Amino acid sequence: MNTTIAPHSLSNAALLEVRDLRRSFGETRALDSCTLMLQPGEIHALVGENGSGKSTLIKILSGIICSDSGDVAWKGASARFAKPRDAQRAGIATVFQETLVLPDLSVHDNIVLGLDDVVRRRSGQLREAQLVREALAVLGVATLDIEQDAGSLSLANRQLVGIARSLLRPWRLLILDESTSALDVDDRDRLFAALRRFRSDGRTVLFVSHRMDEVTSLADRTTVLRSGRTVGTFAGDEATTERLLEVMSSREGARAAEGHAAAHSRAANGPTVLTWSEFALKTGRAPLSLELRAGEILGVAGLEGHGQVAFLECAAGRRASPCGTVAAERGAIHSPRDAARARIAFLPRDRKTEGIFAPLTVTDNITVSGLRRLARWGLVSRQQRRRVAVEVGRNTKVKMASPDSPISSLSGGNQQKALLGRLIATDPQALVLNDPLRGVDLGAKRDCYEVLADLAGKGMAILLLSTELAELCQLCDRVVVFHNQGVEAVIGRAELSEQALIAAMFGKYHKAPDVDVNA
Amino acid sequence: MNWLRTHSYAAPVLAALVIFLILNALASPAFLDPDNWNGLLVGAAPFIIIAMAQTPAILSGDGGIDMSVGPLAGVVNALVTVTLMSRGWSDPISIIGCSLAVGVVSGLINGVLIAVVRVQPIIATLGTYLVYQGLAVEILPMAGGTAPEWLRDLAGTYAGVPGMVFLFALIAAAWLLLERTAFKRNLLAVGGDARAAYSAGVNVAGVRILAYVISGVLAAIAGLAFTAALGSGDPRVGTPYTLTSIASVALGGVAMTGGRGGMLGAAAAGALLFLIQTLCTLAQVSIFYLQIFYGLVLIVALALNAGAERARHRRLAAQVG
Repeated sequence: MNTTIAPHSLSNAALLEVRDLRRSFGETRALDSCTLMLQPGEIHALVGENGSGKSTLIKILSGIICSDSGDVAWKGASARFAKPRDAQRAGIATVFQETLVLPDLSVHDNIVLGLDDVVRRRSGQLREAQLVREALAVLGVATLDIEQDAGSLSLANRQLVGIARSLLRPWRLLILDESTSALDVDDRDRLFAALRRFRSDGRTVLFVSHRMDEVTSLADRTTVLRSGRTVGTFAGDEATTERLLEVMSSREGARAAEGHAAAHSRAANGPTVLTWSEFALKTGRAPLSLELRAGEILGVAGLEGHGQVAFLECAAGRRASPCGTVAAERGAIHSPRDAARARIAFLPRDRKTEGIFAPLTVTDNITVSGLRRLARWGLVSRQQRRRVAVEVGRNTKVKMASPDSPISSLSGGNQQKALLGRLIATDPQALVLNDPLRGVDLGAKRDCYEVLADLAGKGMAILLLSTELAELCQLCDRVVVFHNQGVEAVIGRAELSEQALIAAMFGKYHKAPDVDVNA
Repeated sequence: MNWLRTHSYAAPVLAALVIFLILNALASPAFLDPDNWNGLLVGAAPFIIIAMAQTPAILSGDGGIDMSVGPLAGVVNALVTVTLMSRGWSDPISIIGCSLAVGVVSGLINGVLIAVVRVQPIIATLGTYLVYQGLAVEILPMAGGTAPEWLRDLAGTYAGVPGMVFLFALIAAAWLLLERTAFKRNLLAVGGDARAAYSAGVNVAGVRILAYVISGVLAAIAGLAFTAALGSGDPRVGTPYTLTSIASVALGGVAMTGGRGGMLGAAAAGALLFLIQTLCTLAQVSIFYLQIFYGLVLIVALALNAGAERARHRRLAAQVG
């Protein structure tokens, strides 16, 4: 194991000590033996790829959710925060990833929000305004009009308002969960200067960032999470960008190449199904020209919020292309209708809210999208539907008691297979899948890999967004990696590895020379 | 300046209110006669107060609504004119005290059901709506009973000043006082985005419960107001006010999803609905058309509102860009 624990075992002096913390959501282990130790007066970075458990850890420390097991020791005493207020009272102030600023409240009210009781104010009106101005001054935005609605602020200023809110609390530990993503360089530098001042006051900062330059320049120590586990904690000089990226990617990366020899041969010759020409998510980003061929699995990767989802939605007609076009054989795709006509089937990310009809049967769920194809004079035969459901279910390896059992009786993995079956039942030319195997158990995952490879073998074009690097390495012929709303790299089979993906996701991909991405 | 900014949501309804005052005056010159003012205020009071009662519940968000305000006012009416009067508890302290206590208890029940037990607000308060409706008929099977002397006097004038003016002043003072506390911003935050408020450390359940308690108390005061106006009891008089109150809140520029708006808009809209009624009476339009008129006004207002809302979202989206 390439693990290095820095020699900071001053356990009795630690401000916060997290030991063997675990938390599962259904079948997904979001945190699985997570360890973290924070000293007074340090700036500590927390890094890891998507789904490595950073947000879960932070939510537990902030009292948003509870852990299943494990210890959190705060100032030497065991602590368990049942609600955000408890954590804040104890001295932990958190700025969350989503800017939780209320657009209809004034900047002033947004910043003091949560300090008071239901009715009683903690401080008088004048004192309040003074505190707000001080907090904004620390962040270098003292000139902000504190009476204006927060909804009229830019994204960057909203983020600063969120940070100012946390600064108002008497904190010992400030947690910043990707709170710098919208800030420009000047704002960020001012924030970092403030963080360093806090450190010299003996206060502690824990920050999550996907920008390696921030981590290496600011952090005294860096803890790396991978699949819910702590991989190691590195002191400042050990925490080089290369080292961190290497540790973040899993050891199984090397294994990915095997079991996929067939991919290359099938990819080359199919007809083009989808064409991106001069496509970009924002003006000024490098345009992408790419073709997805029948029988190809094109992966899509990126850190949360870097544009990959928008890319997928453009391909499925759910969103208009900001620049350039996405086109199928019969013309450009502008709407879900166009996508349906081009026989492009889309699988949304959230199974529970956008996918299954929980009270209905497996048959209903599989055939609901293809009813028009099954109907004769507007009537649908029950036997016919059942036959289709059984056949599709067999192809997608759905394990069910009967096609008439409610879909909610199936495991998450089998529900997902049934949804995949629903898409296939519409006889599509291309599948656009938004992280279809997130939170699916291993056995079902393996089934789905086979199903996808099988479909591709039969000439289906597949656009697969995944947050699991191993999955992308195993299944895809090429992977488009997004960074900061732009295409950072299109990594071909030959170059595909978890290391390459992570480097590209963090904007550090150095393309090997002479690689033709369209090969 | 600041006050203008935070109350700009009420501008359309206030403008409509002025227009309908003018229309009423045009329809009947007697409308402007000072001798009429007291009668108008007495008639408008239940509309205005019940609209204010609905406001905190809807502002609290997550489907917040208080269906029970109308029947609760009816229960207070029956309680005062029958139960308390028959026991000789006719002094102001007993009657006001009991009425407010009923409002508080009812609000607590609604609030706890919604914020703690987590029953859908419309279902929880529909439950209490039915209970209170039954309760009012149980106490007072048909119109009857009498209001105490001092309460009927409230519908008159004191030294030329309508009694209702004092009542409004009292309610406004109480609300303005509450606005100076943290409650108003906590309520708007909880109604705007409960998750954001929760993670900022706001006691979301506490804020919601208090919102429904205020609704209950104001509904009870509305009950007293129309007891004063009627001078007697009627078990069925309260119920229809629930719909009036919801319509007023919507007309008053309060976001039905919560988090935006305030009492001023709802109160003005309550008065507006009353003026529509008087205008119909003055113009000798049949009472049957009144409902149709209410409905049309509501739909037009909300359609305009939805258009303004879309424009606002576009503007905000452009700013974030």
